[in-house]
Amino acid sequence: MRVIADLHIHGRYSRATSDKMCVEEIARFAKIKGLNLVGTGDFTHPKWLKELQETLVQEADTGLYKVAKNPESPVYFMITTEVSTVFTFENEVKKIHHVILTPNIETAIQINDRLAKYGNLAIDGRPTLNMDAPHLVEDVMEVSSENMIFPAHAWTPWFSIFGAFSGFNSIEECYQDMTKHIHALETGLSSDPPMNWRLSKLDKFALVSNSDSHSFWPWRLGREANVFELKEPSYYEILDAIRFKDKARFKFTIETDPAYGKYHWTGHRNCHVSFPAVEAIKIGNICPVCRKKLTKGVEQRLEELADRPPGFKPSDAIDFMHLLPLSEIIATVLGVDSPSTQQVWNIYNAFVEKFGDEYAVLIDVSKEDLRSVNEKIADTIIKVRDGQIKVLPGYNGVYGQLILSEEQIAQKSKVQRVQQLNLTDFL
Amino acid sequence: MFKIKMADAKLLRDMVTAISILVDEATFKIDQKGLKLRAMDPSRVAMVDFEWPKTVFDEYTTTEPTKMCINISEMLKLLKRAGKDEVVELSLDEKTGKLQIKITGKYARNFTMPTLEASEEEVPTPKITFNVKAKATTQGLSQAIEDAQLVSDHVRIEADNEKLVLNAAGDLMGATITLQKGSDALLDLEAKEPSKATFSLSYLSEIIKEASATSDIATLEFSTDMPIKLDFQQAKEGKLTFYLAPRIETE
Repeated sequence: MRVIADLHIHGRYSRATSDKMCVEEIARFAKIKGLNLVGTGDFTHPKWLKELQETLVQEADTGLYKVAKNPESPVYFMITTEVSTVFTFENEVKKIHHVILTPNIETAIQINDRLAKYGNLAIDGRPTLNMDAPHLVEDVMEVSSENMIFPAHAWTPWFSIFGAFSGFNSIEECYQDMTKHIHALETGLSSDPPMNWRLSKLDKFALVSNSDSHSFWPWRLGREANVFELKEPSYYEILDAIRFKDKARFKFTIETDPAYGKYHWTGHRNCHVSFPAVEAIKIGNICPVCRKKLTKGVEQRLEELADRPPGFKPSDAIDFMHLLPLSEIIATVLGVDSPSTQQVWNIYNAFVEKFGDEYAVLIDVSKEDLRSVNEKIADTIIKVRDGQIKVLPGYNGVYGQLILSEEQIAQKSKVQRVQQLNLTDFL
Repeated sequence: MFKIKMADAKLLRDMVTAISILVDEATFKIDQKGLKLRAMDPSRVAMVDFEWPKTVFDEYTTTEPTKMCINISEMLKLLKRAGKDEVVELSLDEKTGKLQIKITGKYARNFTMPTLEASEEEVPTPKITFNVKAKATTQGLSQAIEDAQLVSDHVRIEADNEKLVLNAAGDLMGATITLQKGSDALLDLEAKEPSKATFSLSYLSEIIKEASATSDIATLEFSTDMPIKLDFQQAKEGKLTFYLAPRIETE
């Protein structure tokens, strides 16, 4: 069976997360989205863990859980969390986020017992720990060899392993002798597998994709995910498929266009300027508006570390598919600013009611069938599926924007209406 | 060997401050005629072109043409220690590669600072035919730019033979500042053809503010959508000129 898994989300005790982000609601929206496996997130938080214990029930021998009140739901939960480690390496402060997967609540409790020595787990769903990355891995793996840990959103400028501001240049530099336990890295919204394939040193790691969602809305939850083909949902099967980059079981990842991510290009949010890597380098990474250093985007940071040209694909690479949330597609076609308007929901619900869930609409349903609901939106869904759409790249915390026409480029890039030229153009 | 002396340390401090707007590390060319520097800022949006002939200095000694690269902000920290009417002397110790800065007034201070690897880049000035030439007081220009900064981060400068107009448009507010030819602020204006170009106010304001300390009169030259040249007339001999690339309005 096809298992679509989003293994990195946050519960309601994480900062900037809706109070309604409870297990039942996550399961309800995961089903609408088409996810049949979701990470619980935040198992390190005492109150969230208590909620998980009260609302989830273990499925025998799977290492996964279901909602106790609704065991018929197709949605499984995996016990997961994200932690932030803060430590000094070669006189630089490093702030790195990591995702931890564990097969049951008992092992989660054991991990928490160890991590509580390094920070207050109750302050945030994603706790900050005063420990270095190798010691984190050592502690987690000592609890159980069936735990898994990998760097979260590996390229975002802040708080990531390759981040432009406090990152490392390699996995080995970060995890030292504990790299032996690292089998994957999360690409994050602003990078996709083809970008990561340009670093030969990442070949041995599986590239996983998750939403890091702080809400259950379908334009956030599952916007990136991992697609497995398994006999049945199983923590151990998934662990194995990732560890061994097993293409028979780990079929592909669902990726938003990396330009859609909030940190793809280099730029300044407040100055309304953004640049692709080549342009940013040309102007010395200095903002032409405020003249301070620009926030380096993922594309530029990756260019610094890449040792292969664009277009290279390793022979054992796991496939991927570029998609965008259906709500975003509908909102763009309708020309409305937000995917949460009733007008968008009405069309969204019509598609989902007819075809079962959002992923079926985005991935499986034929163009002809989609057109029976709404022709214009069906055509755009197919364009997204075929990679024929443009995205105005995100930068410095601003999400990228889906573009359907040249007029929209002019309209959506309005904030950048005054473009700074370079003196070298006149020498 | 290189050694210079200025009876008024403020003159050197003001000039170094003006250069520091654009460059962190400045490579000066030094020869028998004097001191020169031409450099672009890291974003290559603006350029400073500076020359001081040896006659500007009270003492000027050099044995052979050389280049000296220094960290401008570090040098400024030291020069800011000099009070009014204090004497400053710079000398390059070629053995150690260190620059010595001696400030003499109520008491004597000797600072040393390292020199850096000199840039080999030869930067030409932009090749532009200017259609507008305006001579203005730096005080008038400073105030006009301050007005524009209240509403926007960029300004469109327009001119014909009668007037120089600064138009600033923000998201909510706008400003139009008019300098009439022959007014107290605009001393002269020649326009071969009406021209307009848009520039970053963060660059313009800083350039005009800091260069004003060295000059009372500035000559602006520009053409439509081309870089602007701002030449600040020096009290003694010498040249302090800035070039600033335009911003293009795409709407």
